[in-house]
Amino acid sequence: MSSQSPQNQASLYVPENIVHNVKTITFIRSSMSAITGSAAGILGLTGYSGFIFYTLTAILTSFLIWSIKTNANPGVYFRNGSDVWTEGVFGGLFSYVLFWTLLYGIVHGMLCAKTIIFDVSSALI
Amino acid sequence: MAQPLASIAESQALYLDPEIRDWVLIPIMVVMVLVGIFRDQVTVLIGGGTGKKPGLKAIRETKALTRGVTLRNYGNHIQNNSFFIRKTFLSEAYKRGDYLKNPAAANHAVNPMTDPAGMEMMMEGMKKNFAMIIPQTIIMGWINFFFSGFVLIKLPFPLTLRFKSMLQRGVETPDMDVTWVSSLSWYFLNLFGLRSIFTLLLGEDNAADGMRDMAAMSQMGASPTGQPQDFHKLFLAESENLELTTHNWELDDIENRLLIKFGKRSPTINDDDDTIEMEDISSDFSDVKGKSKRKGINKKK
Repeated sequence: MSSQSPQNQASLYVPENIVHNVKTITFIRSSMSAITGSAAGILGLTGYSGFIFYTLTAILTSFLIWSIKTNANPGVYFRNGSDVWTEGVFGGLFSYVLFWTLLYGIVHGMLCAKTIIFDVSSALI
Repeated sequence: MAQPLASIAESQALYLDPEIRDWVLIPIMVVMVLVGIFRDQVTVLIGGGTGKKPGLKAIRETKALTRGVTLRNYGNHIQNNSFFIRKTFLSEAYKRGDYLKNPAAANHAVNPMTDPAGMEMMMEGMKKNFAMIIPQTIIMGWINFFFSGFVLIKLPFPLTLRFKSMLQRGVETPDMDVTWVSSLSWYFLNLFGLRSIFTLLLGEDNAADGMRDMAAMSQMGASPTGQPQDFHKLFLAESENLELTTHNWELDDIENRLLIKFGKRSPTINDDDDTIEMEDISSDFSDVKGKSKRKGINKKK
């Protein structure tokens, strides 16, 4: 093993398993982006804080994948160990924005409208 | 409660009726999810799941090619003579066209229009595309007809004015804040954002995603669907690749490496006697061609 050329090392990976691992990561990322998007919406984050929240949760997710799923040794499961940190981060952003908007609109947008109406009516009285 | 109240008041006091949420916002999203699932099922129905089964000879054709690739990649795991026997056999077979589906037609490319399998494939692509486009158009029409000009929701983040035409499609109001989203734009937001939800619901290779067919459609323009590959050319290329492949057995010098690994021998000392001894043993197994090749490699060392 020690005197292997890098090309030979690459051929030691089984492509099917690599694809399966990438699928696993995509699954984790998709569900996490939907969940964190909902969380951001319910928390009522707006503007940059929402995107910072996404970045933080993405890093946290990556760290969890790295530490739990790959036992801090991603090179065993992926050709390129940094895939764990980057795979599917930008794909998840769209879902995050969708759920963030939806939950924010439902929880905060409508609620505010009601309170404004309430305020106006109470002021009239 | 005071903070969002102030932010709404300072931007624009738009009161969204909760009825809009119940009867427009959520229904559009639910309908899009359901249509995505429906489309996936339709594609499975039309395409018959994995599609038409290829013939025995077609499978043999592709597998023969795979065999060459495998030999090139993993050839170092087998012995020298085994490798060379396989190499000569495969490259000869490729050149003769032994594994071709139709050896007679080796020299001219098959016209996809006359080949029934090619025709089948083109029809498949057409059907798939129709299954994509029709629901898309129907939903767009539905939203345009019933909900055009509805303001549905407010984005929680600010955007520049550039996005106004994109987000407020169907609402021609010059002064409205950019963060308000119209019904048609909510549709597009869903189109992008639901992709990973479909991945969760239907698995990785689903057909529910609307954006993927758009990408596929733009590719369609460049080349007609599923141009059948000229396997004879692929075979010739593969045989050339095989002939260029050198062999370097993994177990060469394994005793030394093992001893070095377990610290019985220091890595710097390179014992010539051992390598020669091993050379003699392995040359007993290898055929003439393999031996000459091996010597060539050793000289390079």
